[in-house]
Amino acid sequence: MHRNDYNNATGMRIWLSLLLGLPLAAAEGDELFEKQIRPVLAEKCFGCHSANLREPKAGLRLDTKAGLRSVNGKLLKAISYTDLHLRMPPAGKLSDDTIESFAAWLKLGALDPRVDDGGAGAVSKGIDLERGRGFWAFQPLRGGDAGIDQALAKARASKGLTAAARAGRREWLRRVTFDLTGLPPSTEEMDRFLKGEPYGAAVDRLLASPHYGERWARHWLDLVRYAETNGHEYDNNKLDAWRYRDYVIRAFNDDLRYDRFVQEHIAGDLLRDQRLSRDGKFFESPLATNFYWFGEVLNSATDSIKSKADTVDNQIDVIGKAFLGLTVACARCHDHKFDPIPTKDYYGLAGILHSTGMREVVIDSPAQAAAVRAAHVRAAPDTRNPGKTRIALRPGETMWEDFEDLAKNNWYASGEAFANGVRDGIVDSAGRGVSELVGSLTSKKFRMPNHYVHVRLAATKGDRSLGEREPVRLTLVADDFKSLHYLGTGKDEFEWVTYRMTLPYQRLCYFEIVDRSRTGAIAVDAIVFSEEKDPPPVENVEKADWREPASVAAVPESAFGMVAWDEAPGDTKLHIRGSHVNLGEDVPRHFLQVLSKQQAPLTGSGRVEMARWITGDARDLLARVWVNRVWKHHFGDGLARTTDNFGLTGERPVHRDLLDSLTARFVANGWSTKKLHREIVLSDAYKMSSRADAAMAKIDPRNEYLHHYPVRRLEAEAIRDAILFVSGGLNAEMYGPSVVPYISKYQDGRGKPRTGPLDGAGRRSLYVQVRRNFLTPLFLAFDYPLPISTIGARNQSTVPSQALMMMNNEFVLQQAALFAERMAGESDKTGAMYRRAFGREPSAQERNDAHAFLAGGGTLADFAHVLFNSAEFIYVQ
Amino acid sequence: MSSRRELLCRAANGFGGLALMQMLARGAAKNGMHHPAKAKAVIFLFMDGGPSQMDTFDPKPRLRADHGKKLPFTPPTTVFNISDQILGSPYSFRKHGQSGADVSDIFPHVAGCIDDICLIRSMVADHSEHTAANYFIHSGSGFQGRPSMGSWINYGLGSESDNLPGFIVLESGLVPPGGMDCFASGFLPASYQGTMFRKGEHPVADLVPPAGAAAAQQRKLALLSKMNKGVVERFGEVSEIEATIKNYELAFRMQSAVPELLDLSKESDATKELYGLNEKITEEFGRECLLARRLVERGVRFIELLTPARPGLDRWDQHAGLENGHRINAQSTDRPIAGLLEDLKSRGLLDSTLVVWGGEFGRTPCAQMPDTPGAASRIGRDHNPYGFTMWMAGGGVKPGMTYGATDEFGYFAIENKVHVHDLHATILHLLGIDHKRLTFRYSGRDMRLTDVHGNVIRDVLA
Repeated sequence: MHRNDYNNATGMRIWLSLLLGLPLAAAEGDELFEKQIRPVLAEKCFGCHSANLREPKAGLRLDTKAGLRSVNGKLLKAISYTDLHLRMPPAGKLSDDTIESFAAWLKLGALDPRVDDGGAGAVSKGIDLERGRGFWAFQPLRGGDAGIDQALAKARASKGLTAAARAGRREWLRRVTFDLTGLPPSTEEMDRFLKGEPYGAAVDRLLASPHYGERWARHWLDLVRYAETNGHEYDNNKLDAWRYRDYVIRAFNDDLRYDRFVQEHIAGDLLRDQRLSRDGKFFESPLATNFYWFGEVLNSATDSIKSKADTVDNQIDVIGKAFLGLTVACARCHDHKFDPIPTKDYYGLAGILHSTGMREVVIDSPAQAAAVRAAHVRAAPDTRNPGKTRIALRPGETMWEDFEDLAKNNWYASGEAFANGVRDGIVDSAGRGVSELVGSLTSKKFRMPNHYVHVRLAATKGDRSLGEREPVRLTLVADDFKSLHYLGTGKDEFEWVTYRMTLPYQRLCYFEIVDRSRTGAIAVDAIVFSEEKDPPPVENVEKADWREPASVAAVPESAFGMVAWDEAPGDTKLHIRGSHVNLGEDVPRHFLQVLSKQQAPLTGSGRVEMARWITGDARDLLARVWVNRVWKHHFGDGLARTTDNFGLTGERPVHRDLLDSLTARFVANGWSTKKLHREIVLSDAYKMSSRADAAMAKIDPRNEYLHHYPVRRLEAEAIRDAILFVSGGLNAEMYGPSVVPYISKYQDGRGKPRTGPLDGAGRRSLYVQVRRNFLTPLFLAFDYPLPISTIGARNQSTVPSQALMMMNNEFVLQQAALFAERMAGESDKTGAMYRRAFGREPSAQERNDAHAFLAGGGTLADFAHVLFNSAEFIYVQ
Repeated sequence: MSSRRELLCRAANGFGGLALMQMLARGAAKNGMHHPAKAKAVIFLFMDGGPSQMDTFDPKPRLRADHGKKLPFTPPTTVFNISDQILGSPYSFRKHGQSGADVSDIFPHVAGCIDDICLIRSMVADHSEHTAANYFIHSGSGFQGRPSMGSWINYGLGSESDNLPGFIVLESGLVPPGGMDCFASGFLPASYQGTMFRKGEHPVADLVPPAGAAAAQQRKLALLSKMNKGVVERFGEVSEIEATIKNYELAFRMQSAVPELLDLSKESDATKELYGLNEKITEEFGRECLLARRLVERGVRFIELLTPARPGLDRWDQHAGLENGHRINAQSTDRPIAGLLEDLKSRGLLDSTLVVWGGEFGRTPCAQMPDTPGAASRIGRDHNPYGFTMWMAGGGVKPGMTYGATDEFGYFAIENKVHVHDLHATILHLLGIDHKRLTFRYSGRDMRLTDVHGNVIRDVLA
């Protein structure tokens, strides 16, 4: 062993001290520090960890005594590169000699001769919450009751601006019909309006249309990164996501109070007064909570604690932006740099979300459940016999569940299938022997202790390729990410199914037993944890006679949903610099302090209290953000243009008093979104022409004072829906499981679904399944938002692929041909097609051009195709 | 004066449309965005699946010496997490060129170019799962839907091509896990998204009318032009509408530019041979490489080449059958890559074109054994983001250099670590972009390709 640095007397003394455990004299300690430690710190560490830096990495200042002392405990671990996540210096490992010097220095008491500056190792500037509350967004709604036009007129006058003339009735009806329903007005509707239908009556008619809910649900889905698959490698399905979509449509059509709508999102599973569906068959409120889980999911997370933290981060991002217009997620690694949101607040919310799980449950109303029960109790007595068996466990094996008592592993039963609990040591989804029964059973969470799990079950033959869509299965879910499906083969005997716990080993796991099939059933006898590859031997005391259960067709249908639940509520530790391996103090679950008066005591996860807080203490901001979003979808831009960011880096509203008075009326009107629409679209501002006066445009080029109504391009879905509407190919069917998207030969990759029909069965675009990895190219070309987080304002770009698709895409051509076919019988084809496509008569010139085109060899389908390509088709005045 | 970002944004979204964007972009491209550029274009040879460093460019004799023994330390969790048994490389390594770097025998032609190449043997990434790792190497984030490197670069520099997209992905049968989101423009405007060219006669969806509809196109366009004139009269002068109308012109320039690009008939036989177009095993990737050169010549800014499909192989992802699988993947790409480097060099394009080779991660030094004991040929390696090799050539990178090192097992990068963020920062730097100043305001933050990380690796700059 050579150590050149230790060939002096001090070196010898140090080694003697180490060997004999003798204390080191102060002077010798100082020398050790100055010669061996400080130069290394200066060379390798101060670059990132110095008090001279504005933002030292991890807030750590190693050029202070306190700073160095604060990391003594993990210094050796960091520099020896034994921990995967903590490796310093990051650019490369120190030499072995240097590491040994540090080890010696630490062992001898880590003497540091520098003057203690008294400062903490980690810098914390802190946030002045009281000052933060002075910012406009956190202030209460300001008084004043000026109407839209009054407020705008005053503001315009102050700038020397005047409002544009009134738009024609045709333009207004087309504008408002697209805005409220996402579709153009029909020829009949246009005629009725031109014949004198009052503006107010037209608005009431549009708000009462079921298409209204479809249109505004789609706007809402942008805010909650709605998707029906998990993305990543295999793009697995998110079951029942469509039920959430339908929930939102119904909420808009029923004009559900917005504050209640938000409360149901936060805690719909826990609210005491659960709303029932109109037909009384299922619970509406819990369906809203599905929004927590629309984020992407990794295929096989190797660091599932980090993945869970990322999921929670995405949830916080969406909650912050969608409801409150705040970029709360910016406070994950450090106090928010601009807004009064300390990191503590972030982890206060994180604790709530870490305490919230999702489960697959039956959401039948009590009446529906009773009807199911009443229908199946009349079934013939169940004569199936599971047989008496003895499972001979081998040393080291555990019978984790023998199904003698569901309380043992805290199984949660939902649906009538499992309502009867266990009998003869099995659990059986056929209840009293009826295959129509459906339901789910969810176990407690536990850490997977072994490398093999053997399950003894008897179930309808499953199809492994269906994965999570297999309707009859026992699934092991590990850390919410990796699912292993135990399926039956349809034998009339119990059989073992085995999986190796490659990834689940040592992770937080739970089981779910699911039967969604009216023709299938699953019975489970035992779950055994083992280190053996092969299942334990079974001694048959009595042979089983396990046939298909009976069928009672009269059993009513049940509904499933993905619903939140409180699981093992607890606080989360502060993640220093956002790292899940560098944990700080416990942070009690709480909400944003800047918007809180007093913290309510929490029950469970804290979601019930959070729902109360967000519509209570945070009410004014919640309402403002929503009113601004509604305004944005009517005028192209919000009164505050950064719809998802009401913080310091967002744009402040030019007309704050207008936003506030509009919001105050919205709240006073019982949070009715429909009344808000009515006020906006019946205003003079909304009735203005879209022709800008050049002189006005010079004074106000961004049109912040609304001196004219802005020309607007339709969104991707509205373009497709308008094509279907005009061609006559629109299928107005509402609700239900999504249509699989059309997959062209140009779309490829893992998880590719079998293609759906080219025209999406004529359904409106919001019923086309949102497959993360296979989003529809026509939508993407027109700035459909990727489902990553809240998008309150889509991009609007102009790219060649838009022109190419409108000209060459087979769907557009197909619909053009259909449009022509429908118009073939019309005597005035040009007139009829212009009225349908643009809601107006063609000019004489346009008639001439059309006739020349058709006379020159163009077909009616070609003509229809050109109409779809006209700028007038996708822009609204 | 508006900031460049605002101008570009507005240009992409509204008034003046593409012309302004291109004009600005050209002005910037000549000298780089923030400092003089070395490279004008990037060709990313994306080795999807994760080639093994210890079988390609990073020899580890210790693995052969300890073959079959257990690793002397506990490895980190991997995707399959089922082995700690050391696996020596089945291939031999030899020193090449004046630089004398060791290259595996499965890359004889690339080995011949080693003096033009800068090997980085100390790459580090953050994810050991394909999809997250693919997103990460492309966008600097393991999440779906963030802007890809090619999108960022086009956002910064614009395209020099009037009639081709600035970010083109060439594919021959395999889309990487994660799909098109590897090439997404994320929160940047859609104009920057990657366009995938598939092999075959019609590489781009909806580029040309389907059979039967082609004849009517001119007639339709003439009518459309008349109709749109009426729209302008009716709506007034609205910049967005103007851009939409002009957009049809660009679309039709693309219609003719693409067939011209794909027509290789004017390339000499010698060129075709250089790229391996006359051999079945190299024909597909050879064509991708030749097209890459043609795209560079046409001013396309970022070109990505994907690993060709090979029967029975899942990209470079050899969890099993490593020996045969890596050999075939190497054979399919070796000559075409060497051909591309030679061709770019002889045409004087290599200096201004940065070629980057590598996968989303490397592989483990230990064997992934088949579940049932079987032939040695079924043995493979698992994913390893902690230390792997990538290389760069041309575009202002030091030629004939080897940078960084892994430990003696090739598991962890230990010397001059280059994180993916650092690689991104370096690529942007070579294009004349300061990675800290190429930003886009999203979600209340000025977002970057390198997030809050990344250092330019000055040591590898020529």
